[in-house]
Amino acid sequence: MFNKIFTVARFTLHELLKSKILFVTLFIGFLIAVATYVATEFTYGTPQKVALDFGFGMLSLSSLGISLFMGASLLPNELDSRTVYMVISRPVPRWCFILGKILGLMGVLAINVFILSAFTISCLLLLGGELNQAIIFTAAFNILESLLLLLVVVFLSLFLNSILSSSTAFLILFLGHAIQETQSITFVQNRAVFEYILKFYHFFLPAFYKLNFKDYLVYNTSIPQLEMLGSVLYGSTYCLGLILLIIFIFNRKNLD
Amino acid sequence: MLNFRNITKVFKPEFLSQPFVALDDVSFSIPRGSMVGFLGANGAGKTTSLKILMDFIRPTAGIVEFDPVLGRNRQEINRKIGFLPERPYFYPNLTGRVFLHYMASLSELSDQQFVDGVKRLAPRFKIDHALDRPLKTYSKGMLQRIGFLATVLHDPEFIILDEPLSGLDPIGRKELKDVIIDLHREGKTVFFSTHIVPDVEEICDRVIFLKEGKLIYDGEVKTLLSRDSGDVFLIKVKSENIDLESLEVASVLPLPGGYYSNEVGESAKNEVIQHLLTRNIEVRSIETVKPSLEEIFYQLKGQNV
Repeated sequence: MFNKIFTVARFTLHELLKSKILFVTLFIGFLIAVATYVATEFTYGTPQKVALDFGFGMLSLSSLGISLFMGASLLPNELDSRTVYMVISRPVPRWCFILGKILGLMGVLAINVFILSAFTISCLLLLGGELNQAIIFTAAFNILESLLLLLVVVFLSLFLNSILSSSTAFLILFLGHAIQETQSITFVQNRAVFEYILKFYHFFLPAFYKLNFKDYLVYNTSIPQLEMLGSVLYGSTYCLGLILLIIFIFNRKNLD
Repeated sequence: MLNFRNITKVFKPEFLSQPFVALDDVSFSIPRGSMVGFLGANGAGKTTSLKILMDFIRPTAGIVEFDPVLGRNRQEINRKIGFLPERPYFYPNLTGRVFLHYMASLSELSDQQFVDGVKRLAPRFKIDHALDRPLKTYSKGMLQRIGFLATVLHDPEFIILDEPLSGLDPIGRKELKDVIIDLHREGKTVFFSTHIVPDVEEICDRVIFLKEGKLIYDGEVKTLLSRDSGDVFLIKVKSENIDLESLEVASVLPLPGGYYSNEVGESAKNEVIQHLLTRNIEVRSIETVKPSLEEIFYQLKGQNV
């Protein structure tokens, strides 16, 4: 069975890499380099911080963009082009197919993060900065955050069309980051109803802010290990739960 | 090979919309080694039936039973089935060869089996010249050919094709029909849907008719063709100065060279001949009119046969 998953993942990755996605990634990498150079000309004393901020900002945007838009069309495209029928009419269980598709797109995300991290690190080193563990962790958490968003959008695409699933996922992403600031507002803290709403949110919807460590990196403070471990557990558990839910629904879905 | 038993499928496209019955208690069977045409107009329920058969969608009621020889579970059965969906588009950025490799890998073929299979089948499907081009550069006919090749690459026993000949030029249709005939001769069971009646008449030994989600006919083509033949006769006459009105029979058609033809039923045949002879009109021939499958198809109009 794992052979089938990897076969679907391999050819999904192959197909996506043959599209123009890598050119976009390289173009964003080039933009990081240019924007970093221009920004350092207007800043004084902290060019490395600018390089990291621009680099990881762009990396985050592009990864989340890939998750949102490619994730939303991952299954609808297969149904529209009827390629899903060709694949699952072979001895391939549906869960292998969907897992392979997600794994293939995850490969694209990893390649995107790798290339843009390389551009960012190159800019940082050129500006006299130093490579540290926080950079690696931030990049790794970016993959986890993008994977979580990818799973959210794939889950939504089982019920909604591409536009609705990507816009709903974008809203969930926005809320998942905004909730951190919201829960620290005194007005919210003093009202029990908001407390319940926040608890409800945390119980069902993903708190994306838990997977974002860019601030630690930019302000050069060390990431608390316990928080990092908690985030890894939270992200992995949520992803696993979503994968199981997607498989459960996809196995029962009418593919018409 | 397959029993499609009492299948009903009801769709409810929107939450508040009326349910729509796509298939209404449809039952048919596909005997092993047969070549079965699945006929019906657009929207008759052919593709829905095939999707149920392939387990892409679930029926509202009824069951699909496969011959145990094919396997005991879906994965085993799928190993021995080759399915080509209607108008497939595949992955545009993959080359034909990579796409075939993908399908071969999923069908558990070794690399050597894949290479041998492509070498053997690509010239037969006349697609060998384009295997290293991206699929987005393929024409509709070429996509149909590569899809068909992928369908039979793993040497399935049971081949299911959804509108395999639609949208092809006459030469392409002829070539793919020849391939289907060859596969049948090799002992494969072939089941293909189409709305083009002459294709079924030409190559199938059995036919299944669907109309508006209901089964109209399931049986041999020749039985259906002989069912109505013998009832209608074509009488050809020749006369220089024929007075059509004097014939007192309807639907007399003038033919080139002073001939006239008249279609009559079994009961009126003798009377018309006698009528012609008493007026000294020369009867040149009497033929049994054999309706084509297409004519029968349009005559059925919902009646169960």
